[in-house]
Amino acid sequence: MSEKKKSSLLGRLFGNRNKEIDILVEEQIQSPSKMMLDNFLHNRLGMTGLIGFFVILMIVTIVPIFMPINLGESDNTQTNVAPGLVMMKFPKELEGNVADISNGPTYGVGVDKDGKVYVWGHTKISKIIDIANIPMEIQRANIRMVAAGYDHVVAVDKDNNVYVWGNDRLGQDNIPSELVPSKIRGTKEIIQLEAGYQISGAVTADGEAYLWGNENMSDLSVHPEYQGHIKKLAITNSYYCLLLDDGSVVYGGYKSNAFSNVPATLKSDVVDIAASSDTMCGLKSDGTLVVWGNGTHGEDKPPVMSSKPVEIYGGRWHYSVLLENGDVLSWGNNSHKETEVPQSVNDAEIDTIYSSYFQNYAVTKDGRILTWGLKGYLLGTDNLGRDILTRLVHGGKTTMTVGFVAEVIALTIGVITGGLAGYFGGSVDLLIMRIAEVIGSLPFLPFALLLSAIIGSRIDVQLRMYLIMVVLGLLSWTGVCRLVRAQILAEREKEFVLAAQAMGVKEGAIIFRHILPNVMSILLVDATLAFATCMLTESSLSYLGFGISPPTPTWGNMLTGANNSIVIQQYWWQWVFVSIIFGVCTICINLVGDAIRDAVDPKSLGR
Amino acid sequence: MLKYVLKRIGYMIVVFFAVSFLMYCLYNLIPQDPARMELEPMKSSMKPAEYQARYEELRKEMGLDDPIVVRYARWMGLTKDLKGNMKGLLEGYFGYSRYFKQDIVEVVKEPIKNTIFINIFATLLALGITIPLGIYCAVHKGGKVDNFTQVLTIVGYSIPTYIIALVFIYVLGVLLRWFPVSGMGTPGANYTGLKYWTDRMYYLCLPLIVMTFGSLGGMTRYVRASMIDALSMDHIKTARAKGVHEKQVIYSHAWRNALLPIIGIVIGWFLGIFSGSVIIENTFGLSGMGSLYIKGLNQHDYELTLAIQMFYTVISLVGALITDLSYGLVDPRVRIDK
Repeated sequence: MSEKKKSSLLGRLFGNRNKEIDILVEEQIQSPSKMMLDNFLHNRLGMTGLIGFFVILMIVTIVPIFMPINLGESDNTQTNVAPGLVMMKFPKELEGNVADISNGPTYGVGVDKDGKVYVWGHTKISKIIDIANIPMEIQRANIRMVAAGYDHVVAVDKDNNVYVWGNDRLGQDNIPSELVPSKIRGTKEIIQLEAGYQISGAVTADGEAYLWGNENMSDLSVHPEYQGHIKKLAITNSYYCLLLDDGSVVYGGYKSNAFSNVPATLKSDVVDIAASSDTMCGLKSDGTLVVWGNGTHGEDKPPVMSSKPVEIYGGRWHYSVLLENGDVLSWGNNSHKETEVPQSVNDAEIDTIYSSYFQNYAVTKDGRILTWGLKGYLLGTDNLGRDILTRLVHGGKTTMTVGFVAEVIALTIGVITGGLAGYFGGSVDLLIMRIAEVIGSLPFLPFALLLSAIIGSRIDVQLRMYLIMVVLGLLSWTGVCRLVRAQILAEREKEFVLAAQAMGVKEGAIIFRHILPNVMSILLVDATLAFATCMLTESSLSYLGFGISPPTPTWGNMLTGANNSIVIQQYWWQWVFVSIIFGVCTICINLVGDAIRDAVDPKSLGR
Repeated sequence: MLKYVLKRIGYMIVVFFAVSFLMYCLYNLIPQDPARMELEPMKSSMKPAEYQARYEELRKEMGLDDPIVVRYARWMGLTKDLKGNMKGLLEGYFGYSRYFKQDIVEVVKEPIKNTIFINIFATLLALGITIPLGIYCAVHKGGKVDNFTQVLTIVGYSIPTYIIALVFIYVLGVLLRWFPVSGMGTPGANYTGLKYWTDRMYYLCLPLIVMTFGSLGGMTRYVRASMIDALSMDHIKTARAKGVHEKQVIYSHAWRNALLPIIGIVIGWFLGIFSGSVIIENTFGLSGMGSLYIKGLNQHDYELTLAIQMFYTVISLVGALITDLSYGLVDPRVRIDK
């Protein structure tokens, strides 16, 4: 006896309890809705779909709260970056042995004290140019300084020879004759090496500065009167300023621009200079910081500091300073966390900082390298340098919202019209079904395209989104209407309706409270499947450029640029991730819809 | 039966006029001024007063200030146009394309040929695969092939066509380099005869594969479901009990019954031959009706898009009629003259 009980307990554990209950008891405890639920819960595919859908739903509803999107964002240095968080993954060999570090927009270059060059990060600038292909002569040379530009790297070896690799098509390798190895070998001792967007500059020990590179949009000549007095050079994207040996800062070129009017306070007592992409900054001996140029990301407003800054370094749109008490402070643009100095940096004794673009490397006195800033993009960036992950979750939110609202509109119209047509029949039915026929005979996609074209792109993006929802809703109610009508035609002949009529229940109540609940289950199936269809339609419209217009992301318009073979092949991350999440999402919804259908209609289980 | 057909055709005509009027009004909602567009190139060579006078003259010539019903009737060919001819949609004149500077009938000729050409192949391919596959899956329900097909078809009908297209372009066009990814023939090759056809088919391979794959999902599931229903009928048991050969049971007894629900879809597909897929044609750079429509919208050539739209509408109306009638023809139990 006890043996039997045990097995029944085991049986219960493994879900095989129905065997113990005799058929009458089972019949009694199973209400239709419970049976549906049971059927649904035991459908493995359906449950997988439901869980998958909820996971995606959570991702697109909760993650956007923590991941704000800047719709106007675009950065030409961060376009088409491959996925991966490798931008600050410097090789371990470099630690404790750093001679120099510099970084470009997506990659880093470092030299150790033995003259060996290391490259890390996304080094492929274009299909052909790869920074990681360091020329043989540079690998053999004993390099001591490097500087990375947008798509080129300059290096200086122990004999003061200057090398360039990377992109050299725009004059990046026009090294001035004074610095060319073969001509005056080793006569000019280089003390500083800098690189801007596509330009480079060097300062020699005898106080001369040389600049070369892409001459378009830049000002590379140096006033001869400054030559011989130059202590330091700071380069923005295309312009430069000089720190002279009398402690004054000058703009060394000939063109007049936002930088050529150096603030008067920087005429003396300047100890350090630095430049971000669009601003320059001077540090005076009393610790005051003066920023000039086109500060657009807050880099022109230095914060209050706890102690006197002693050294300054510039990134793309941010500055980092080393304070007298050993702390480090960063300010400016923080979209990639480049101004969030980690506590470990403030705890350590910092020797020097290398900061450019969105990355900061701090080298401690005991040789460790600490980093903060942009690690990379988990899913890469698109052709405007926007993070795909952010756009993916926000796009999902848009697509799902549009699909959901359109579906709700369609359901409301469909249920009301279908209910009326089905219950009243006769001329009401005839009229409604003719209208449904007219709407239904409009070819869907072309007509939606037309309506979208009529709405036009002149109106507000937000309003346009609402209109698209309404258009989709107005075009897709006919299916629901027919379904509800057919179901009601079948239901209204049944006895309970007669009973309700006999009891004097109002007609509206009979339709919506007595008949409609019976139609509900089949409606649920249709609504689930139609939700997926609405999402597909929205994305198709957006894909063709007639739906929700950029910069608002949707899963459809994120794929608009993807149908050319260059994107498909080289920038696979721009379409693969969107396709996967969208595909998985619609598959999940359809699985759920199928599972509900099976649960509602036991007959279809056989299929 | 005849009465029913006549009634349906009557309804159809009413619906047609309703749709066309709706459409005409919609197109008139688009802010545009053909008279100003016509005059724009000459604007610099005219004095403002002269320009204004000519503009108003042109508006009158084009009849832009008449009420919309009058313009609709003119466009439809119900009344005489401004030159006094009966020239409208009903007389077979579809209008003039401003972008292509040709009559629309001429503009549409080539794309519609291409579209029909592509779609005939796609439809035949899809039907040729889905029907046998659906029958096989129904007969071998629960087997490995069936389960695999079920998963594949759910993927097929859930994923939007353009994503399927991207995947196939990537795998077959870019990675394996089997097929060209865009266009309708080798550019500048000017092949003739057999070579022209093989070249063209080679270029159409990828779109055809994508279209077939995209339509596999829904149809296979449908065929399978209706075939399972048919196979569970009592007469199948009887036939098997009688000792009828299994092949005959499936193809003669069950398939004929399974055909009924499918026939509507099959007819819909064949009518869809004329419409062309907007997305496929756009993605693969094919010149068909779909891409012509998009071009019309993008170039604001609304007379062209309106004509194409009307063409689509007529097809779908006729399609609905034929489907309903064919049910009655195929299945004597469906009594449509009720």
